[in-house]
Amino acid sequence: MELFIESIRSLLANKLRTFLSMLGIIIGVTAMIAVVSIGQGATASITERISSLGSNVFMISPGFSGGSSGKAYVSLSDVLTKKDVENIAMLCPSIKGVSPIIQQRFSVKYGTNNTSSQIYAIYPDFFQILNLELENGRMINQEDIDDYAKVGVIGKDIANDLFGTENPLGKTVYMTVSVGRTNKTIPIQIIGTLVQTGSKLMYNPDKMLIIPFTTAEGRIVNTRGSVSTILASAISPELSERAHLEIDQVLYMRLQDSTKYSITSQDSILGAVSEVTGIMNLFLGSIAAISLLVGGIGIMNIMLVSVSERTREIGIKKALGATRKRILMEFLVESVTITFIAGVLGVLLGIGLSKAVEIVASAYELKTQVTWDSILIAFGTASLIGLFFGIYPASKASKLSPLEALRYE
Amino acid sequence: MGDSVVLSLKNIWKVYQMGDIRVNALKDFSLDIQEGEYIVIMGPSGSGKSTFLQITGCLDKPTQGEVFIDGVNTSNMSDNQLAAIRNKKLGFVFQSFNLLSKMTAQENGALPLIYSGVNRRKRMNRAQELLERVGLGDRIHHRPNELSGGQQQRVAIARALANDPPVVLADEPTGNLDSKSSEEILNILKALHKSGKTIIVVTHDPDMIHQGNTIVHILDGQIEKIERKS
Repeated sequence: MELFIESIRSLLANKLRTFLSMLGIIIGVTAMIAVVSIGQGATASITERISSLGSNVFMISPGFSGGSSGKAYVSLSDVLTKKDVENIAMLCPSIKGVSPIIQQRFSVKYGTNNTSSQIYAIYPDFFQILNLELENGRMINQEDIDDYAKVGVIGKDIANDLFGTENPLGKTVYMTVSVGRTNKTIPIQIIGTLVQTGSKLMYNPDKMLIIPFTTAEGRIVNTRGSVSTILASAISPELSERAHLEIDQVLYMRLQDSTKYSITSQDSILGAVSEVTGIMNLFLGSIAAISLLVGGIGIMNIMLVSVSERTREIGIKKALGATRKRILMEFLVESVTITFIAGVLGVLLGIGLSKAVEIVASAYELKTQVTWDSILIAFGTASLIGLFFGIYPASKASKLSPLEALRYE
Repeated sequence: MGDSVVLSLKNIWKVYQMGDIRVNALKDFSLDIQEGEYIVIMGPSGSGKSTFLQITGCLDKPTQGEVFIDGVNTSNMSDNQLAAIRNKKLGFVFQSFNLLSKMTAQENGALPLIYSGVNRRKRMNRAQELLERVGLGDRIHHRPNELSGGQQQRVAIARALANDPPVVLADEPTGNLDSKSSEEILNILKALHKSGKTIIVVTHDPDMIHQGNTIVHILDGQIEKIERKS
């Protein structure tokens, strides 16, 4: 304790120098805390978005043919068809719901309000697969599909854009569709509005205008039976592996080529994402660690200067009976104290920085997570660095002969 | 005056290698110092008197020969043991005071007590008591740069007495002082001698001859003559 007080005093004697030598550690710890918290926050928010899909959901999409991966999503690949949807529904016992999706962007108008919206043409199962809930009205049902009904369910954002405070139920919006060179306007009556959900993986229901699949196919786009994507859900999360296999079998039977389609599940996306975020975190963390190391070398440098500056003091202390161990401890405690204080400041700054990032990045719903783990690790590393880089200067000080040190001017 | 030998140097050689030249700072130097003696070591610079003090003070080891302090042979002692001897048995007073500038007079005076494991409260009390004894009771919270040279040297003497060592070693204690301050210091040393301490002063100041009861003249690393006053 007394060593600690004494070290504080000698550090205060050289405030600027102490601060500058602390800076490296402060920055290192700050970076470490901030980077880890932002990384973990990002991972958590991505994971949450993916998980919000439900672990039993599959997305079946057409495979890419070589080099054409840059093509716009709108150009419907004709690999997957309505037939596949029927086959999956019929032949896969572990599948609860399945829906084709034709997804395209159209201009939608209500009165003088105009907006561009993603149109999702689907089967009724779509709602249940994505766990969508109605705020008002009703969902699209089988009758609408059979009737090629010109009805639609809209998400909250679109509703706000088009209707403002008006109640959209029963109102008619107009979709502008180009057919050849002329534009055709198709009226869609709003029969339901969705509860706000935020985005779920690749889907954001808030921005959707959902219409019956047949309506799109028959009246809006001529897809000759092909679909953009197929969404399917397994009966339960436990059966999802089995469902995956079943879908694969059904598709392979017809297409005879596993590269023509891909089945993506939440788990496979999660796996890929966590691998990427893991690498990112490791990468950023190691940069922070390097800055800690550099900070440590800065501490060693300052301690060496301090030793040679205080040679005479060391000599006096030794002449008065200070042992080698005592001098060693004095310098070690000093360097550990520097890094400890720097570590505290770094942790505080790091927490502050990650909060600041959270505020700046609030648009992305990024919640940073400062965990005790990262605080302890950053703190521990800083103190260890203080100890490690303090050992050499301290042992140098302790080995000074009292006589040599007293002669030193 | 007691008859017991408190400090004894036996056949000390100290050889310094300076480049190609070997310098014999002390040549077969032997001296017994009785308890309660006031010894003044005189000699021109380069005579070996500083080396004598360093070896006597366990700050340096002789090339050859043995040093006994309180009957204990220090030749084969470890650094830690020597540190303990310096701490408990010897008090140092230097020409350039060698106080720590960051500390107050009281803290400087208490410094040796840290190394003998005395707690802070006792240390501070002891230092205050000693500073009062050397006439600095009203200056205990001053730092060295707020004190005159004579006052600093008195703090150094208080520090040397902290552990109540039997022997006080002084290296040109008045070398950096004006005559008035010097006299104060000499009076304090005299008083210490009266209180039973063994005082060893190294100097080339001829005025000091009137001080001790034994004057040892050193020349070229050997004792030239010893004058004893009754």
